[in-house]
Amino acid sequence: MNDDVLVRAVALARTYGSNAGRVTALADATFTIRPSDRVAIMGPSGSGKTTLLHLIGALDSPTAGEINWPSLGAASTLRPGPIAMAFQGPSLLPPLSVVENVALPILLAGGTEKDSIDSAVRLLDLFELRELAEKLPEEISGGQQQRAGLARALAGGPNLLLADEPTGQQDHTTGHRMMEALMLEVDRADTSVVIATHDPIIASYCKTRWSVENGRLITETPAWA
Amino acid sequence: MGLTWLKGLIRRRTGRMLGQIAGIAIVVLMLGSLGTFFTAARGWMTEQALKAVPVDWQVLVNGSTDTASALKTIAGTPGVNAALPVGYADTSGFTSKVNGTVQTTGPGKVLGLPAGYSSTFSGEIRPLVGASDGVLLAQQTAANLGATVGSRVTIGRSGRSSTTLTVAGVVDLPAADSLFQSIGAAPGSAPSAPPDNVMLLPSATWAQLFDSAPNGTTATQIHVDLSGNLPTDPGAAFADVVGMAKNLEASMAGGGLVGNNIGAQLDATRSDAIYAELLFLFLGLPGVIIAGLLTGVIASSGRDRRRREQALLRVRGASPRQLVRLATWEAVLTGAVGIALGLIGAALTGRIAFGTSNFGATTAQAVKVTVAACVAGAALCLTTIVVPTWKDARALTVADARAVVGTPKRPLWMRTYIDVLLLAAGGLIYWQAVRNGYQVVLAPEGVPTISVSYFTLLAPILFWVGAALMIRRLAGTVLKRGRVLLSRMIRPLAHGLSGVVGAGMSRQRTPLARGLVLMALAASFAVSVAIFDTTYSAQARVDAQLTNGADVAVTTAAATGLPAALASDVSTLPGIAAAEAMQHRFAYVGNDLQDLYGVNPSTIGRATNMSNAFFGSGTATQVLATLSKTQNGVLVSDETVKDFQLRPGDTMRLRLQSANDHAYHVVPFTYVGIAREFPTAPHDSFLVANASYVAKATGNPATQTLLVKTTASPPTVAAGISQLLGPASGATVQDIVTQQKITLSGLTAIDLAGLTKLELVFALLLAAGASGLVLALGLAERRRTFAIASALGAKERQLAAFVWSEAGFIAIGGSLIGVAVGWGIAGVVVKILTGVFDPPPEHLSAPWGYLIVLGVATAGAVIVAGLGMLRATRHPAMSILRDL
Repeated sequence: MNDDVLVRAVALARTYGSNAGRVTALADATFTIRPSDRVAIMGPSGSGKTTLLHLIGALDSPTAGEINWPSLGAASTLRPGPIAMAFQGPSLLPPLSVVENVALPILLAGGTEKDSIDSAVRLLDLFELRELAEKLPEEISGGQQQRAGLARALAGGPNLLLADEPTGQQDHTTGHRMMEALMLEVDRADTSVVIATHDPIIASYCKTRWSVENGRLITETPAWA
Repeated sequence: MGLTWLKGLIRRRTGRMLGQIAGIAIVVLMLGSLGTFFTAARGWMTEQALKAVPVDWQVLVNGSTDTASALKTIAGTPGVNAALPVGYADTSGFTSKVNGTVQTTGPGKVLGLPAGYSSTFSGEIRPLVGASDGVLLAQQTAANLGATVGSRVTIGRSGRSSTTLTVAGVVDLPAADSLFQSIGAAPGSAPSAPPDNVMLLPSATWAQLFDSAPNGTTATQIHVDLSGNLPTDPGAAFADVVGMAKNLEASMAGGGLVGNNIGAQLDATRSDAIYAELLFLFLGLPGVIIAGLLTGVIASSGRDRRRREQALLRVRGASPRQLVRLATWEAVLTGAVGIALGLIGAALTGRIAFGTSNFGATTAQAVKVTVAACVAGAALCLTTIVVPTWKDARALTVADARAVVGTPKRPLWMRTYIDVLLLAAGGLIYWQAVRNGYQVVLAPEGVPTISVSYFTLLAPILFWVGAALMIRRLAGTVLKRGRVLLSRMIRPLAHGLSGVVGAGMSRQRTPLARGLVLMALAASFAVSVAIFDTTYSAQARVDAQLTNGADVAVTTAAATGLPAALASDVSTLPGIAAAEAMQHRFAYVGNDLQDLYGVNPSTIGRATNMSNAFFGSGTATQVLATLSKTQNGVLVSDETVKDFQLRPGDTMRLRLQSANDHAYHVVPFTYVGIAREFPTAPHDSFLVANASYVAKATGNPATQTLLVKTTASPPTVAAGISQLLGPASGATVQDIVTQQKITLSGLTAIDLAGLTKLELVFALLLAAGASGLVLALGLAERRRTFAIASALGAKERQLAAFVWSEAGFIAIGGSLIGVAVGWGIAGVVVKILTGVFDPPPEHLSAPWGYLIVLGVATAGAVIVAGLGMLRATRHPAMSILRDL
């Protein structure tokens, strides 16, 4: 039933370059993501996890196969709104303060300034960043930036959150607190989550675990997970 | 490592390197072009100086020296083209009988001219009526005696009987000042004005009359024409002719003294060349500075990225010295290519615009200009590439280097209010200059001379620098403190994002304010150059019209004047807007003979421009209305008012020549105003009166000048009038276009056309380049920011809000401020260079066409830059997204 499917992909592939220099980042990936799914995609660095997230989030287009978002809409309407992405590296807009960065998706979706700031402040509280609200990205640490990026991804109330190594720059304890806060929020909002990580502990927050190896997606939970 | 680094830069940072090379090339090109302009201008000035002197040397032969041997020595001197002996004799006066009355003049001079004199020294004698050789009378002498061709004139000879000759022609002596100069006399010890009464005789006749004249009443001069093979630089040419003259005097061993006319003219021209340097200061230097600043912006466009690269290198163990060495490699490469391209471009531009690709009139000058251009290019490389790297390497922490926005720091000039001080100092100097009536050019009488006060010239420079810094301060303040206002202003563009866009702009105030300043400077440069050029051109035309009288002027020296019906006949010709006849007489004010112009004050303005600057006691309309109301009114010069302590309403008893007896009789006039300039009038003293009153008082309504305003091409109309008059009329028809080419008065004679065209093109390119490049580079710096916003789901119109808000702030803000500053600077420059203009302009002339082109070019560059960035953000580069 289409209405129950957020993302459906069949034989999805993404290659870069051409001829001799061709690199296959992802090949023949077939999967479905449904509402309330909690998916962890595991695999070593360079295995194709980020490429897969970009294709799910319509940030990139496949070179083969098919992907669609039956209950979310056309690719051009997915952001801001139904899908949001938290990036692995520093991705806050440098000239905007932390709270303005977090409020931005709501503003882009047409929200009012007041509503967007209120929501942003609530999320900053959740991720223990309230006191840094007025700081510029370059004035806070990489870990704090990453948490703010996650808060920003949740700000627009997406149906599907894509998070790329969300705790990559956190220490062990902070990483756990952050994941707990994240799961609390996605449970509250009934948001589906796809997290790319190479950390089994982070992956353990998700019921479903996929793995990617050399561009091949395996949608069965690996034995070691 | 250096070569690897350079290869990487060429392959990966091609755009930035090409931009830097282009900036350096433009600076070198502009400096080199100014060098070629100097060469061309100096060469042209020397050429004009040589043309302006009819007799290059007048060698006064010592009484005890044999004229023939002196002539032989002079003719044999290298560089001498022709040498002819001229006799000078004093006369106690001339007398003539006209219609039964006897006219007698005061003392005068009789010259003996050898055959071929007129053709050898063609500018010395201008035939007006009758023959061009034989017994000739000077125009004013003929007027004083009431004599014309065929009249019998008696020459008074001191200590001997007088003799009577028949006049064969009336001539004008355009170079009378130099012709009758006192050679070898100390300045002020001999009469400076030429004699009023002059007769020219063939050598043989002169010898018969004066060979046995008493000692001290005659003299012989040898007039010399030089070959003209002189250096093109007036200074070098001056040194050459002075050296040659001294050499000749030494060869003659005291037998002769050289009156060095060509030397005096070149000396004045040498001073005039300073004017070209002034133009360089006002027209060229700001352009060079802006090109330099633009290069700096291009170089610093990659600064954040370069800082991050340096931070990485430092983390990997590179020392500050190694970083500076890498930057030096980059500077050497971009500098060498930029300087080479700039020099080639300057040579080509000079060849196209000024007809020369030499950077100097002499080898030394060419070397100087080339070295200066190269040093400027090298200094630019050093300051924009090496110095920032060196400063960053010494002072920045790795964390600072990674910062994108940074904390804007108040620089020293801002904390110490240098901008306010500079503006105040500029204002003070300007106020002093204007209050004291300072003129950069002094033209008391005769050859204009320059008295340059570089201190006064500081005013526009201080204004320019002060304004640039003040704009920077104000832009920073508006962006910092006016965030709410800014957000409101950009709301129509940014809608709901206006708060965020405004906040972003506020935090990026350093690059935005820098962009706005550069835009404002480029616009102000273009506007000030264009306004100065337009005002200069308009004033050159006014100047030419003043000299010529009108678009077309018909003049005659005949006593009967122009045909009475000429004005109405001319009015029927095609292309005529108006034709007004004007009397040109002479009147004695005390013992001073002055030109008198009889006009109809109500209608004279129809045929020629009556500028307010012509009159000293009110506007043109007011003064002419007063003259019209006062039948016997007269306008006089400032000098006459001062000399005779005149007050409006005072009676002036002038002496005018009557048509009945050709004698000068007293005619009462009422002083009603001051005339400083008047069409066709000389620069010193003259009089303007009602033609009807002059006609009644002298019994002669004849007019000597016809002023014509045209609606068609002046040369075409002039040809038509010449045809109407016929070849036998003896009248001269001169049009303004020809006049402008040959005898522009004063320093406006310098041909600025090539320089200003070049400057205007540069200014246009700089303004468009500044707006487009500043914006494009600034936006390119934030490609990552736009890519993130796009990944978050920002639609094109939302990204456009960021782009166009910044573009509008820089382009619209910078343009408006730039136009205001440019207008102000042009006003200051024109005011300070008032002496260059004759008469001074009443107001600045706005080049609307150019300004529209400037606006369109700037807007076009901004739109192209903005659309380019929006297009790039539509599909953010995967390389950026994969880095996130």
